Amino acid sequence: MKTKTFVNLVFITFASAFVTEGKPLSYVGGTMVMQENDETGHTLSLDYTFTPTEAFGIYIKQEENGKEILMLTPEINTLLKRWNLPDGQGNIFNMSGAGAAYLHGNTQPCLWTAFLADYESRRWFFSYEPRFVWDGDIEKSVWQRARIGFAPYLANYNDLNTWVMLQVDHHPAKHDHVVVTPLIRFFYKTYLFEVGYGSNQHIMFNWQIQF
Amino acid sequence: MNRKLLTLIIALGLTSVVSAETIHTTVNGMVCAFCATGIEKTFRKQPEVDFVKVDLATKLVTIRTKPGKTLSDAKIKEVVTYSGYTMGKIVRER
Repeated sequence: MKTKTFVNLVFITFASAFVTEGKPLSYVGGTMVMQENDETGHTLSLDYTFTPTEAFGIYIKQEENGKEILMLTPEINTLLKRWNLPDGQGNIFNMSGAGAAYLHGNTQPCLWTAFLADYESRRWFFSYEPRFVWDGDIEKSVWQRARIGFAPYLANYNDLNTWVMLQVDHHPAKHDHVVVTPLIRFFYKTYLFEVGYGSNQHIMFNWQIQF
Repeated sequence: MNRKLLTLIIALGLTSVVSAETIHTTVNGMVCAFCATGIEKTFRKQPEVDFVKVDLATKLVTIRTKPGKTLSDAKIKEVVTYSGYTMGKIVRER
């Protein structure tokens, strides 16, 4: 029991770093670790960016708030389109993975793909992400997430950046179909941290590091 | 007197040949610290580059080359594009 608890804690600690709503690519030669803990479960990803538009890595997710599926897949993140504007940046990314899903001793092949569209200026942030998941005969699900963010002050490169954000999730396969999460994002250079509290009374905690 | 003048001219000429160059370029799309870090790290990998500074407020990247080295406009554009962004205007100073 103690071993299982320890393993879960280790997993949660790592998993929390992977699903942050940051960009799924860093600079060429850069490695990115992301973790997210929210009402959908715990996610961990580790990606290496090998071209200006592609990153490859691993993706682990322990689902909660519904079927407690564990997914393990390699993933590839692709920048499909970027708009570089004088005062902002818009992107469309695709993230996809194929691997295995486990639930109560049942192992199934799984596939998932997501599209992330975002626009960011120094003051505003908007994103929308639909995600499609196929876990063999365990579950097939579609969920979507949208975010709006506002920077209360304009921080420069060497300053602590602070964002106030609102996230809305819609995932029909979960017990809580719609969850609204106000959150605060902090980031300093290549370290990002987010904390929020969802309408389903669940604490959200995400982090991301690039190196 | 003529010899001193000649020496001075040669010395000034050599100084300009080996001096470092400071280049300023605006970058479209550079709106966050993650973006700036990518641009900074990619420029730092260039063997000609001695120092890089980014300013998000002005979207300005300042590059100082090593003495006697320079970076062409085409090279700067290549680095900015490789980092995922779009280059704006370039200003050079010695």
